Amino acid sequence: MAAPAATVDDWTGEGVSVSRIERELALLRTASAVGGGTDLRTSVMTHVAWVPAEWREPALETLAGLAERHPSRTIVLLPDRESDADRLDAEVSLRCFPISGQERHVCSEVIVLHLRGRMCESPASIVQPLLITSLPFFLRWRGRPPFGDGAFEELIGLVDRFIVDSVEWPDVPGSYAELGVCFERTAVSDIAWSRGLPWRRVLAERWPGIAEIQELRVAGPRADACLLAGWLRARLDRHVELAHEEAEGLQRVAVDGEELDPPAAGPRDASDLLSEELDRFGRDRIYEAAAGAAQ
Amino acid sequence: VTVVETQQENPLLEGLRVGRTPEPCALVIFGASGDLTKRKLFPALYALAYRRLLPEKFGVVGVARTEQSDEDFVEQMERAVREFARDEFSDEVWARLAEATRYVSTDFSDDEGENRVARCLTRLDEERGTRGNRLYYLAVPPQVFAMVVRELGERRGSEGWVRLIVEKPFGHDLASARELNAQIGEFFREDEVFRIDHYLGKETVQNMLALRFANGIFEPIWNRQFIDHVQITVAESIGIEGRAAFYEHAGAIRDIVQNHLLQLLAITAMEPPIDFSADSVRNEKVKVLRALHTPGPKHIVRGQYGRGFVEGVEVPAYREEEGVAPDSMTETYVAAKLYVDNWRWADTPFYVRVGKRLARRETTIAIQFQRAPHPPFAELAGDGMRPNVLLTHVQPDEGVSLEIGAKVPGQGMSIRTVHMDFLYGGAFRTGLPEAYERLILDAMLGDATLFTRIDEVEEQWSLVDSMVATWQRDRPSFPNYPAGSWGPKAADDLLHRDGRSWRRH
Repeated sequence: MAAPAATVDDWTGEGVSVSRIERELALLRTASAVGGGTDLRTSVMTHVAWVPAEWREPALETLAGLAERHPSRTIVLLPDRESDADRLDAEVSLRCFPISGQERHVCSEVIVLHLRGRMCESPASIVQPLLITSLPFFLRWRGRPPFGDGAFEELIGLVDRFIVDSVEWPDVPGSYAELGVCFERTAVSDIAWSRGLPWRRVLAERWPGIAEIQELRVAGPRADACLLAGWLRARLDRHVELAHEEAEGLQRVAVDGEELDPPAAGPRDASDLLSEELDRFGRDRIYEAAAGAAQ
Repeated sequence: VTVVETQQENPLLEGLRVGRTPEPCALVIFGASGDLTKRKLFPALYALAYRRLLPEKFGVVGVARTEQSDEDFVEQMERAVREFARDEFSDEVWARLAEATRYVSTDFSDDEGENRVARCLTRLDEERGTRGNRLYYLAVPPQVFAMVVRELGERRGSEGWVRLIVEKPFGHDLASARELNAQIGEFFREDEVFRIDHYLGKETVQNMLALRFANGIFEPIWNRQFIDHVQITVAESIGIEGRAAFYEHAGAIRDIVQNHLLQLLAITAMEPPIDFSADSVRNEKVKVLRALHTPGPKHIVRGQYGRGFVEGVEVPAYREEEGVAPDSMTETYVAAKLYVDNWRWADTPFYVRVGKRLARRETTIAIQFQRAPHPPFAELAGDGMRPNVLLTHVQPDEGVSLEIGAKVPGQGMSIRTVHMDFLYGGAFRTGLPEAYERLILDAMLGDATLFTRIDEVEEQWSLVDSMVATWQRDRPSFPNYPAGSWGPKAADDLLHRDGRSWRRH
């Protein structure tokens, strides 16, 4: 659980420009430094989250658990295409957390942007001036990305790591083919894949017997099941039949009818999973192959 | 090697991040009733268990003189973990560790006692599948060390591997260190011996390697052409904490200089290793240790603290501490100028100082660069044109800071020194692992990179012997610095003679 922020300074504005946002952010930083000047802005990345209305609540909950763990600039994009006004509204805050054993604090910046009306058309042009120079840019996309859409493609062209959770997609495994197009453009993380890691370890322990597997039976979300099967197919370089039973969370896995003992480590929460992805750099070719073979 | 070989065989292991799980084994702690076990070893084991870094098939056996049952020992260790562990106490994690814990009482000289240890380990192999793999941790007094080594050597079985973690002191001079190494070498190969120097397990010490060899900007200027001098400080605000019997014989030079300080120096001055394997890193360190010399007795300062105030509290003089002779000549402070005689560092002084009851607890490595050759605005400088300093904070405030000159806003060209800080606690919001966690795990994995090799120990003693050789002939006037200060005036003079001064923090 994240420690409470020691201080939160904020500013909100309606119908604002990006340069105004930058100015207000700088003012917040200056204000936090007055009276001691001992707070640190230790940024390690820019983390952008694209959050359509239906994902707002869980997304903000996940992000709340992250601010303390990853000192960074977080930009939350809340698209509202249906709005009558073409306007950018912003909430900017500086969240400072104590550093163990020290009087200083480490500060993260959170910028929530409401993209109203036509402001949704080119989010990359809004985000670019706000990225911290030279630091990695992670994009977490809530829900199913609109592959091929201009606004989406613009953002993908900028990011260092694109993070999805294919559990949020209604059409897996078919949509993995569309995701596969992104693999050559940026590094991709899928939280469904991270969630399956403890089960992959359990399956790996079945080596060498598992090399002969015919059928994998999985009770869990469809995406998680497809990725497990895809991983086995890709790694073993042969077909493995998947029998899937829908369930909340990865609950049971059986190999050729034999149910496996669940992994010792329990399930991790959404903030933990996203946090792990934010520590990762570079392509995950094992995942790419698994997603390719999941279809 | 095992992990790589296993991955080649099992294609499912690739990408599963399982590389740091050791093989099944039993850890046997000799001297298990001591403070080290309570304060460091069991809390470290708990932290490893908490993160599931211990092997699934694992056992730990405490061995000590104290008569007590398995249950009493487990209860005692639970209290220690509750008090000293860095993680919250989890009944589930502790239950796993407690279930794997045994205790054997022996006074080390008793043959039957050693047989009991051997029988306990055989039972552990059967009950917990530890496969005959043994990691012996020798946290025992020097006088029983040889005996324990012999007993273990004579009883070593043919199944599984055997490794020996050896705590300092590794002797009290070069001759005794060689004798100790010979006793170990009679039964154990050098690659089975892990001489622990817990400073090497500290994240910030390892970060010195990362800073130097993972960044392109530092190494080209990491030499005599750009660096004016180096200062290494290991300052403690505490006294001897009831260790008079040990400290009276060791003093600061054997307690800290011979091991921790020289290892910090070696890591700071070493050449880039070709890889991060144990031998590559240690080969480079030993070259530095071999090249070290002090220009003479005038460049070594000894000190002993008198009464004074530390953090507002009056503390006794060293000679007033319990167990210390009233006329003790043991040094509690050492400062020295050292040189590394090689191409990179010729004529670049390394000023080192260690001491007890100093103004604050602090371990730092300060790299002071040469001044800017011709600053056009020197006369307008706000606080003078100070040279750049790259400061590694080993403890506390773990991190790195770079001192640079910046223009003071406003009219004119006034320069002020500002700090660019990297704080571990700020950039990485996870707690730093304790040194012993890393080192115990490395020993289980057979990775000796962060342990001291036999030739390093001998080179360290060789230097220390040369430093103390002249001490028999003079009797400094002790005490010569008050507790709570930064040491004797002679230490300041040591640098003033060279036109330099110690960093004040």
